[in-house]
This record gives sequence, structure tokens and C-alpha cells, in this order.
Amino acid sequence: MPSHFGLPFDDEPDQPPAASKAVPAAPTSPSLEARVRDIARRTLGSTPAAPVAPAAPIEPAAPRRQVLSVSELTAAIRDQLEAQFFTVWVEGELSNAKIWNNGHLYFTLKDDRSQLKGVMFRTQLRYLKFKPVDGLRVIARGRVSVYEARGEYQLTCEMLEPKGLGALQLAFEQLKKRLQAEGLFDEARKRPLPALPRKIGIVTSLDGAAIRDMLKVLGRRYHHAHLVIRSTRVQGDGSAAEIAQAIRAIQRVPGVDVLIVGRGGGSVEDLWAFNEEPVARAIAECPVPVISAVGHESDVTIADFVADRRAPTPSAAAEIVVSSRDEFCHRIDRMRDRLDAAMMGRVQALSRRVHVLGGRTALAGFPTRLAMRGRDVTELAHRLDQQFRMRLSGRERTLTLLRRRLDAFDLGRRLDGIRTRLATADGRLRAAVIRRHDHAQAGLRERAGRLTSLSPLAVLGRGYAVAWNADRTHALRHATDVVPGDRIRVTLADGELECDVRGTAPRLTTND
Amino acid sequence: MSDTSIKDFEAALAELDLLVKKLEDGDLSLEQSLALYERGVQLSRFCHTKLEEAERRVEILTERGELKPAPASLVGDDDPERR
Repeated sequence: MPSHFGLPFDDEPDQPPAASKAVPAAPTSPSLEARVRDIARRTLGSTPAAPVAPAAPIEPAAPRRQVLSVSELTAAIRDQLEAQFFTVWVEGELSNAKIWNNGHLYFTLKDDRSQLKGVMFRTQLRYLKFKPVDGLRVIARGRVSVYEARGEYQLTCEMLEPKGLGALQLAFEQLKKRLQAEGLFDEARKRPLPALPRKIGIVTSLDGAAIRDMLKVLGRRYHHAHLVIRSTRVQGDGSAAEIAQAIRAIQRVPGVDVLIVGRGGGSVEDLWAFNEEPVARAIAECPVPVISAVGHESDVTIADFVADRRAPTPSAAAEIVVSSRDEFCHRIDRMRDRLDAAMMGRVQALSRRVHVLGGRTALAGFPTRLAMRGRDVTELAHRLDQQFRMRLSGRERTLTLLRRRLDAFDLGRRLDGIRTRLATADGRLRAAVIRRHDHAQAGLRERAGRLTSLSPLAVLGRGYAVAWNADRTHALRHATDVVPGDRIRVTLADGELECDVRGTAPRLTTND
Repeated sequence: MSDTSIKDFEAALAELDLLVKKLEDGDLSLEQSLALYERGVQLSRFCHTKLEEAERRVEILTERGELKPAPASLVGDDDPERR
């Protein structure tokens, strides 16, 4: 019935109601007419030549009635409808749209006066980009079919498109809305990229420009990068599933800790795979952070929303990885600077403390009144002198040790600063101690009495030691006082050591 | 080159951070300070060395899940700038 092809449904309002009458209202179709005549002939079993009065069925004068079985009539209607509405386009609003367990979509199309039941089978539904939801105005293409068992007719839909909005645009908005509602775009889900990627995974087509762009950037600015590429189709039917599959495969490669997923520029259709749910899901479920890199700056895809980071282009994605590597280097350098500064600070603080100790502990906080004992003043002076010298050499040892260890780190230019400060601190310390010493000797007479309370043990208690010759007749003041093999005694706070000298070395700094 | 040592990057950086803060804030003895400093120098040197010694590698993950080197046609053209 070519004349009916493409006719809006509304142009044929009388067609379905005609089925309620026992006899067709009008000879619209020769085939129906012929069929009814045929049925009538068989039913009545006579009057082969008599016409069944097709032209004037309303008031048949003849007593003969044509009685059809329900099935017969339904079958006739079916033949009629299905032939006549083999291909129709119909516009209406979707309602009761639901995909059943069998995978078919059932719905009702309606306008302000009528309703039309419809079905879209699984096989066609597969190609539907958007989700058929109630309230959507659509244009459907299909054929009218009759379900004889229930005397119902419906539209068997082969294609469905949203009215107004393009199908792709609608699909995009729908998926975006849905995933957003699920929280897949939440800022809180975005993971930081690794400070320094071990292996960079790339999912794209090996044939495209994207991979070359990325390799160019990485080759130039991140030459030590380790890349793992999983090639995949990035456009065409089924490419979304392939991309999703590639994302799942590459994330299992040990060491891959960041992923770039993308392709070069193209039409909306070319980029479409990145607007499909499988890709979005694969990105969302990916255990390592994902950078999306689809098309050009102006192309925004669902993948961009789900990804942990959106790069406007594949090259830009590579730049992001490079900059994270640069940032890592800077962090190390900054940390190293702070480390050196902190160490220098410690050295200064410790030097200051040694300085302060030198001035305070030996002379401060003594009992104010002590009777002058009959001690020999020179003996006291000698002991005082000894204590100061011991303390001085103790400090020198500490400083020498410090300097040696710092030297051992081979710090190059950084150490020069420390050395200078150390030398200054050393000089200041020495001067301060000697100044103290002179000062103390000058005031010795007045203080001699108090000094009796200052036991050498008090000093030893702080970790200093006195080295003596074997007979303990005099304290050792110079490394040259002994030779290897000599036995010496070392007095500690709570006891004494007997030691053998295994070697001697002159002090590194001697200006006295 | 192995994954585990490179993984230490993050750990090294975290430790370095901690250590510097300790050194900056703490009232440590000379011995402790020196020990921390020494460790810090080690860590930062480790990071730099690892950064420099890593090799450029471009691999293709095949359908069968195997890793093979990328064809020269793919990686060859960005080499001229190599130092």
C-alpha cells in the first residue's frame, strides 16, 4: 500500500474502529474485500455467484448473515492493518516506558486524545543511544502489528528518535545527569596523580595522532618515562566496549600508576565512544588515577567528567604528567635546601649553647659563703686551669668530630656555608673560653674558697674525662705527650679506665 | 630499575619531609641532628639518582596481555632531541 507510506497516523482515524463492525465499512482494500467474500462463501456454503454486497453492507435485504468467528475477523484485521501500516512514522509522548526482563522495551505513545501501545525489541533497542524515559517527545518509525490472542494492536518500533534535540545530544545529557546523580563526578572522588609515575599507561589508538603527540611531549620533556600503551579502536560500533576493556587490561599491569585515556579530534560521532556508559564506568572503577584526553579543547565528553583529571588534548595530558615529574624534582630540591638550613641552624644553636655553658656552669650557682680552706692557692689555680683546658679540648673534639662528619658527606658548595659558620663558631667559642679563663684567673683569689666545692667530678659527670699518664702523676694535654703503646688512665665520673694508646694524631686545629 | 625501589620515591619524599621538620622543630642533640642530616642527604640523593638512572621505555600491551617493545616507527621520531 504505497500510498499510505509515511502518512501520519492521525490521517486514518477510522481504520481501527472499523474492526468493531461485522462488515467492513468501506471497501478500502481489495484484499480485505476478497478475503471477507471468501470467508463468507466458506461459511455459508452456497451462493457461489452471489456478491456479498460489498458496496451496500449497511441494510442487507438478504436474510443471509455473514457470521465470522472472532479469529477470522481478527486475522482479517491483522492482515489489513499490517499491510496498510507496514511503515509509519508517528510522533507522540512516551509513557509507561519500561524495559522488561526479556530485554524488550514496552511503551505507550500518546497525544492529547489517543494512545498507542508500542514495543521495541531488544535487537533494535541496542542501537538506541539515549534512554527512552516517560515524558519524552519522540518520533517513532515502525509498523502496526496485531496481537491476535488479545485483539490488540501495537506499534512495533524499529527506530526511535527524540524530537527537537538530537539523539546524541539527548543521550549525552541523560547519561551525564544519571552519572552525576550517582556521584561519579564528585570532586571528592578525584584522586591526585602520583608524584612521580612509575609507569604511565596510555589507552588510545596506535594509528591516531594522539599517541604521536603524547610521545613527542614525553620524549622531549620526560625522557626517563616508562610507558605502557594499550591500543584500541576509539571510534565506531563497539569501540566503547573495547576502550573499557583496554582500561581494565592496562590497570592490571604492575607499576602502572596513572592512565591517559583518549584520542585526537574528530566529529561528535567520532568521539562518541567517550560519551558511552561502558567507558565512563571503566574510568570510574579504575584503581589508578585517570587523565582523560579526548579531542580538542572544546570537546567535552562524559569521560572528562568521570576522569580524575581532564586534559584538553592528548598533548596536554602528557604535559600534565611531565609537570608532575618536574614538581617532584622541585620538591626534592626544596626539601634538600630545608634540610641543609635546618642542619646549619642546629649547628649554630649547639655552638651557642657550648658557648653559654663555657661561661656559666663552672662559675655560677656556688654557695655564697664558704670558709677559706688552707688549700694552696696555686694548687687550686692549677686545677682550675686544667678544668678549663679539658673543657676546651672537649669542645674542640666535638667540633672536630662535627667537621669531619660533615666533610664526609661531601656536600660540595652547600657545605662551604656550614664550614664557614663552623669556623666562626669555633673561633668565637675558643675566644670566649679563653676570655673566661683569663677572667676567672684574675678573680681567682676571691673565688678560691668557693671553688673548693667544685669537684672535678661534677665536670666529669657531664661526660668529660681526664686522661692521665700511666702513673697518674699528670694529666695528658697533648697528643704528643704519649706514643702508641703507652698505657694511660682515663678518669670518668664514676670510675677509671686503663687504656692502651693505639695511635696518636695531631689536632686538626691548634692555634694555642 | 625494579618497581619496588622506584616505589620508594614517595616513601623517600615523605620520610625526608618528616625528617626536615624534626630537624627544624626539634631540640635535638648534635648526634641526633647529624644522624638525621645524614639520612636526609641519603634520601634526597636516592631520589635524584633514581630519577636520572631510569631508562626510557615504551611498551605495548597486546590483546593477550603481553608486554612487548613499541615499534621503532612509533618511538623513533622523538629521539633527535635526546641528550
